[in-house]
Amino acid sequence: MNKGRSLLRWAGFLAVAIVSIYGISVHGVEKISKNTSPVRADVIKIDAMTVFGKLERPPVEFLHEAHTEALTKKNKDCSACHLTEKDLIMPKFKRIKDTGKKEVTDIYHKECISCHKEMKSAREKAGPVECGGCHREKALYSSSRQPMGFDNSLHFRHSKAQEKKCERCHHEYDAKAKKLFYVKEKEGTCRYCHKPETKENVSSMRLASHIGCINCHSKNIAKKIATGPVKCSGCHDLAEQQKIEKIKPLLRMERKQPDAVLLKTAKKGVVIDNLNKMNFVPFDHKAHEEYNSTCRVCHHESLKQCSECHTLAGIKDGKDVKLEKAMHQSGTDKSCQGCHDIKQNEKNCAGCHVFMGKTRKKEDVSCLKCHSTPVPEKGKVLSPDQEKALAGAMLQARKPVTGTYKEEDIPEKVSIKNLANKYEAAEFPHRKVVNTLVKNIKDNKLAGYFHNQEGTICQGCHHNSPVAKKPPRCDNCHGKPFDPENPLKPGIMGAYHQQCMGCHKEMGMAKPVGCTECHKEKK
Amino acid sequence: MSISRRKFLGWIGAAGAGSAIGNTALAGGNKHFTGYPGSYAVLHDTLLCVGCRLCEAACNKVNELPAPDKPFTDLEVLNKKRRTTAKTYTVVNKYESAGKKGPLFRKIQCNHCLEPACASACFVRAFKKTETGAVTYDSTVCVGCRYCMVACPFEIPAYEYDKPLTPRIMKCTMCYSRITKGQLPGCVEACPKEALTFGKRDDLLKIARARVRKYPDKYVDHIYGESEMGGTSWLYLSGVPFSEIGMREDLGVTPAPDLTSGALAVVPMVVGLWPVLLTGIYAISKRKEKIAEQELSEAVRTAAENATSKAEAKLAEALAKAQKEKDAAVEKAVKKALEEAAKSQAKEDS
Repeated sequence: MNKGRSLLRWAGFLAVAIVSIYGISVHGVEKISKNTSPVRADVIKIDAMTVFGKLERPPVEFLHEAHTEALTKKNKDCSACHLTEKDLIMPKFKRIKDTGKKEVTDIYHKECISCHKEMKSAREKAGPVECGGCHREKALYSSSRQPMGFDNSLHFRHSKAQEKKCERCHHEYDAKAKKLFYVKEKEGTCRYCHKPETKENVSSMRLASHIGCINCHSKNIAKKIATGPVKCSGCHDLAEQQKIEKIKPLLRMERKQPDAVLLKTAKKGVVIDNLNKMNFVPFDHKAHEEYNSTCRVCHHESLKQCSECHTLAGIKDGKDVKLEKAMHQSGTDKSCQGCHDIKQNEKNCAGCHVFMGKTRKKEDVSCLKCHSTPVPEKGKVLSPDQEKALAGAMLQARKPVTGTYKEEDIPEKVSIKNLANKYEAAEFPHRKVVNTLVKNIKDNKLAGYFHNQEGTICQGCHHNSPVAKKPPRCDNCHGKPFDPENPLKPGIMGAYHQQCMGCHKEMGMAKPVGCTECHKEKK
Repeated sequence: MSISRRKFLGWIGAAGAGSAIGNTALAGGNKHFTGYPGSYAVLHDTLLCVGCRLCEAACNKVNELPAPDKPFTDLEVLNKKRRTTAKTYTVVNKYESAGKKGPLFRKIQCNHCLEPACASACFVRAFKKTETGAVTYDSTVCVGCRYCMVACPFEIPAYEYDKPLTPRIMKCTMCYSRITKGQLPGCVEACPKEALTFGKRDDLLKIARARVRKYPDKYVDHIYGESEMGGTSWLYLSGVPFSEIGMREDLGVTPAPDLTSGALAVVPMVVGLWPVLLTGIYAISKRKEKIAEQELSEAVRTAAENATSKAEAKLAEALAKAQKEKDAAVEKAVKKALEEAAKSQAKEDS
């Protein structure tokens, strides 16, 4: 009896101990998650030492906004952590450049720990002072940092605010004089020179953008002028990014870019010879500026003409990507055809285009849609202005197709009786479907140009037969399934269901659900 | 028995090595079995499947299986992952995949392996890979050991646990009786979207490749079943990695019999050789025992002999000593008597 009682007592002690340990740990977790969300845009991984070799300890997770808030409360500004050079606040912590392993390590250890200690002795909430407090094996936070880009809308707002003084941001570098200078109409995007990593004399994109943007924004704040963000989340948080005002319609950039470009295989000003007789392609540069949010979509490395790097035979500057590939490669948004293919996946297009195979070689007629004007006879030279004029004239001559046959030529309903043994005939609202498809793409220039006949839209369903006002019915070709002579052709039931349901799915239509929405139950 | 564990293992090892010597490699050529020529198969294009369950209903009907708990028109059942049972030869499961428009579906049934694991595990040959491509089952010879259920890498065969007297293994037959009559398998015939294509396996592989080539963005460039487990007669196309639609990607390309034949081929050898081997081991150890016994008795005998002779010698010695003492005593007594006689003679003379 006695023994039992002592056992009970021990069990009681254990229970209390477990509950209290558990309770404390839970409480601790709660405290952290209450104050700060574990997913933030301001998480900076301090791994500056990687440039000097392998890290000895795990990199430090640094919450930038937590620090700015704490310092603001103490009436301190950026200069508490950041040095100034030529009137510019520099992004690196307490230094301008990464001079050496020892120096950088010392800067962090000395400056961080001394400040944390100071705050601790003042009985304020302070950061860690022991090694493991900062150098954690396991990350407490995860970064939701979104890359920031300067799209055309943002560019327009900046150029307006800067009174079109492009030189305030754009510059070239004179390597001899080691100076920045500005050349009118030579402006490009920052990334053409400022690469992901800092190179000799050229700071990384990250460094350059933080120096440029934040200094300007903070000066404006000091002057009490409306300006852009200075906090991490202002640019790098997804929700904040979406709040950035978009200008519509956009005005064109003023850099003397052409309205129309004549794409050709021969170089600028070169006599067109017999070797390069590929038909000219007129390219609507102006229209494509509107379609894309930044020039970098096509001009990925520089604002030069495509053919300067992507020559017919390929050169090193163009990474040996030939002109043919640069224009036609599928599966990328950098080439004409690749980008047009991607457009076909849009909701209004995918219903028909999903069934069209992605074969490399298109039909001749589709080549000639772009390669439309034959090269003039040997010996003729076109001046740049003549080229532009020719391209413009060719674009003018294009007649987009926006409609289809007359209403009365389109059958209103098609009665499908192939499953008559099980269901009532399915009434297919043929005219309604055609009208919807036509309406959906009425304003789509790409579709208008490439759907070159009024019957092209019909070919979404009436495929594999020439465009005609009265194309064959589905059951004229589709019969029994699994025809060994024609293994890729589905039977009539498969053909209908694949076409109808496939299109409905791709166009994001919720209906029909179940068999009886199309096939009425047989009475 | 005077046989140590080490010795026993040594012998067994030697026996194993001996049996390995002289075995020729099984896969000596660059040809391997790719199914009976002209055998049939089914291609399941999971991108076309809409999860309507008409295949399940048709399967139930043509195979005269018991009515399900919930009707085939009830699409709610798709929300739970199901497997084949003794009452359902085929089920369709629903899978969600990020970045795809809507859910994905996959039909599950016997894959009709070119070299079936079930058939290789069955010691009464109840399973047969027929020349049509279908793997059939003969319940009349089945003993209900359920090795086939263990062997199947796709977990397809099911057992009629509710029929203790006449239990059968239940699985898809590829509608063997229908295809031999020139009809389509029930599920294939019922599929409204032709997500199931029936035909010669070689043709289906060509169709599958043509589809992948025509729609390189839509399909994963792999035909599941072309080489899995040595190849199956049910082939699959998918738009996402096959593991995302619940299909095993760890099976390898070796047919199940190849994996087990090595071990199973040793069985006759073991069965034939082991009695001889073990008898030999027994005889050897027995003989040793016998010799030891002989030696022991010999030793005992010599020891006994030695002991006797020693004792005899001792006795003789003792006897000799006793005789000596006796003789000395007689002599002494005679001497004394003679002295006394001389003494009394002298007294008489005086």
